[in-house]
Amino acid sequence: MEKVCQNWPGEAFDDTLVNPNSWKEFEENAKAAAAEIYRLPDMKAAKAKVEELLQELEVNKTVAVGGDEYPALAKLFSDLKAEGKEIYTDKFEIAEEVPTADLGISTAEFCIGETGSLCVDNYSYEARVTSMMPITNLVFVNANYTTKDVDTAFQVISKVFDKGYMGFVTGPSRTADIERVLSLGVHGPNRLIIFAMESGLERGSN
Amino acid sequence: MAVEHRNLHNEIKEKLQDDIMQDALSRFADQYPGARLKSYENVESIDALRDRLRDMKLYTADHIEKVADDFEAQIKARGGQVYRAKDGDDLKQCLLKICQENHVQRIVKSKSMATEEIHLNKFLEAQEVDGQKLHVRETDLGEWMLAVAGQKPSHMVMPAIHLNRQQCAKFFSKELHEEIPSDIPFMIQTARRILREEFMTADMGITGANFGIAENGAIGLVTNEGNARLVTTLPRVHVVIMGYEKLIPKIEDAAKIVRLLPRNGTCQRMTSYMTMVDGPTVVMQKENGKWVESKRKQYVILLDNGRLKAAHDPKMKQAFQCVRCASCLNVCPIWTLVGGHVYGHIYSGGIGAILTGLLGNMEAFGQFSDLCIGCRKCVSICPGKVPIPDLIDELRARYVKQYGMAFPEKIAFRKILTNRGIFHKLLRIGSMAQAPVKSGKFIRHLPLFFAGMTKGRSLPAISDNPVRDRISRLAKNNPSNPVMTAAFFAGCNIDFVFPDTGESVIKVLQDLNIAVVFPEAQSCCGKPALGMGDRESGKAVAKQNIEAFEKAGADVIISTCPTCAETLEKTYAELFQDDAEWRTRAELFGAKVREFTSFVAEQYEKAGRLKPTPGGEKITYHDSCHMRRGLGVWEQPRKLLQAAKGLEFVEMKNCDKCCGMAGAFGMKYSDISLPLLNEKLTNIKNTGATTVAVACPACMMQIGGGLDQQMPNVKIKHVADILAERL
Ligand code: SF4
Ligand code: SF4
Repeated sequence: MEKVCQNWPGEAFDDTLVNPNSWKEFEENAKAAAAEIYRLPDMKAAKAKVEELLQELEVNKTVAVGGDEYPALAKLFSDLKAEGKEIYTDKFEIAEEVPTADLGISTAEFCIGETGSLCVDNYSYEARVTSMMPITNLVFVNANYTTKDVDTAFQVISKVFDKGYMGFVTGPSRTADIERVLSLGVHGPNRLIIFAMESGLERGSN
Repeated sequence: MAVEHRNLHNEIKEKLQDDIMQDALSRFADQYPGARLKSYENVESIDALRDRLRDMKLYTADHIEKVADDFEAQIKARGGQVYRAKDGDDLKQCLLKICQENHVQRIVKSKSMATEEIHLNKFLEAQEVDGQKLHVRETDLGEWMLAVAGQKPSHMVMPAIHLNRQQCAKFFSKELHEEIPSDIPFMIQTARRILREEFMTADMGITGANFGIAENGAIGLVTNEGNARLVTTLPRVHVVIMGYEKLIPKIEDAAKIVRLLPRNGTCQRMTSYMTMVDGPTVVMQKENGKWVESKRKQYVILLDNGRLKAAHDPKMKQAFQCVRCASCLNVCPIWTLVGGHVYGHIYSGGIGAILTGLLGNMEAFGQFSDLCIGCRKCVSICPGKVPIPDLIDELRARYVKQYGMAFPEKIAFRKILTNRGIFHKLLRIGSMAQAPVKSGKFIRHLPLFFAGMTKGRSLPAISDNPVRDRISRLAKNNPSNPVMTAAFFAGCNIDFVFPDTGESVIKVLQDLNIAVVFPEAQSCCGKPALGMGDRESGKAVAKQNIEAFEKAGADVIISTCPTCAETLEKTYAELFQDDAEWRTRAELFGAKVREFTSFVAEQYEKAGRLKPTPGGEKITYHDSCHMRRGLGVWEQPRKLLQAAKGLEFVEMKNCDKCCGMAGAFGMKYSDISLPLLNEKLTNIKNTGATTVAVACPACMMQIGGGLDQQMPNVKIKHVADILAERL
């Protein structure tokens, strides 16, 4: 999958900038921005939670990216498929199915404590439509990758951002254009669910 | 550029009677300041962030050509195309060509102020490409509703704040030709459905940019709805239309903007989406039933329209510090009363007047710049520290230079204000007649004359016994062995309207063992003329005052009016920037000027007289705008009141919100001034105080006039009077 950086931890992170220290602030701020967060120990727990969500949200069709980068996600997607779930991971299939999909599964590079934001690398077309078009977006991120604030986030970004498409996602799509009443899901997802993985979300060797 | 002929007074009246808008704006004005501060709670120093943003933007303005060249080169290196448009027409032609080359039929847009500034949609919708009319849709919910309604946005960030849900539902119904209930979630879902269709069938997406990074050619989009992400993802052509002021040098500089913009703009620590697009990206399209990938075409158009000239202007380049967060509107006492439409242009409020002027429409600037009363509230929160009222003053001065002044003002300033003899004689005649209206139509531009000001408040009486006539008697009480000499600059209001307060000032100073002199050649500080942009008259009175006080040779110059103090201390030196001799004299003069309450608090502190004393009668304090934000004085008068015997000090709500006087504004726009006054009176009443203290004679006149007619049992006193009573 096309990315701004194929290996964020290797090329952009160092322990002083990206570490587990700002988790609490991230969690607080992300929740304040209406994101739903599950901190999960491993992929086994993640799979159980995904299955729960598919049921709860009555998901018929899922589009998913990130399998080529994270073997554990590739396995999760293929397991779900094997169980008979309708899930698309090929980019052309995603393009075809995304307008009618009700769940998009995508990934983020790191979390920002100060704002509760996820830093997302969405260079690829499929990553963008997957995270924006379905009404629910589930994002996998490594819980150990947090930056303190927006300044440190940009220090990380500036190391690798040469071209492409990336940014921050902070809670679901929202508007207050009618009577300043907060309303979710006006153009993008109305639910942003974050799976913060304590382990299991290691990168493959591509 | 032509200006439509408008009746501003009628438009203001109409807005003040629009209950829906009034309700929305007053609730918003109430909630905004607290919500903003809450979003900053986890930031160490807001001010440090603001300084950093200002410095970065100023640096960029100073190097604008280089930064723009780098930005262009970076985009081109990545396969994008860059055009530079000198004005709106240039941009429109360029964009039309892009549409033709790419056979564009359908366009989706996300919010872009630059395109609103040049009325792009109207132009596009009238064009044909390949024999078909162009189809253009705004996708930001508020903008989309307004486009359907044929209305203009009234706020840069919340374009539809003036509407309620019923009105919105009407516009939905109109667009969809079906009855849409005024249920907000239903309307949101409906918008999602129909706009989704627009995104998926569009050939071209047009966005603005919140920043453009020279280091790597990326543009940044800060949104909540996420429409900009779809506009930059689904169509096969992406056009960015941005002003030069959005450029920033480095990737890391983006942090300097996005730590402030969402917090100030929408009271969020971050908006839902902060998206950076750098160069053409992949787009997928279905061809003959099969999905194929290709590179999206990317065009970036940099709009000049007066911006480059501003960047090279030593004063106006400060407009580059603006990141269009609109928070200056949210706190503006005038904007929150009349809303954005009255300003009549895309950019509203004080910053709107400036931008409109800089973008070449000086006539429009002239028309609505006086809706800024210089209260400096906006300056205290602007993330880029844009000195809005100062830039307005500067543009006013240029306007006067270019177009001249209206005849009545010209006579008032050039012939009367600058001639102390005539001016003071007129004031004395005024005191006898007490009928300023009869004195001719030019007279209202002078201090003290307030035609049409009687509704809801009393006219101040002009004293027949001004301070200057009392001074020989008062000087007899000067200490024989003084610690210093103070020259008293009374200003017109103290001298001729509140001479008793002038007497209090002298008593308080004498009690501190200070000898007081009153240079009789002193005149008006010149602010009425300066405020209207007449620097020539301003300079003339400045020279008279400087000379008069040089002769007096005192240790300090005491002013009891914060507006006078600010003018004497800061503005005089600025006026003589190109005149070395007078600049030095003005600086020496300004260095001696001290505002009364802060000076006395300092002396009381030294003498151990500033300790709080047990309470008694309730007293509250109104902060004058110029005192609090112009001079930064607000603690000292409170300390003086808390130390004054027999008083219990209580704060009122919005203690530092403008009382609505603001020089000539109070009578020129009495429709706006009175609601501000009434709000102030309500806040005073709610404290239960029997006295309201002020440290500014103009506020004393305004609030005093209101109390007199509406709450006669509450007294108004200058801090000097309260201190003098306790000697
Ligand atoms: S002048 Fe300041 S407060 Fe007003 S829009 Fe610009 S940045 Fe925001
Ligand atoms: S100085 Fe006051 S009146 Fe003028 S724009 Fe700023 S807030 Fe509004």
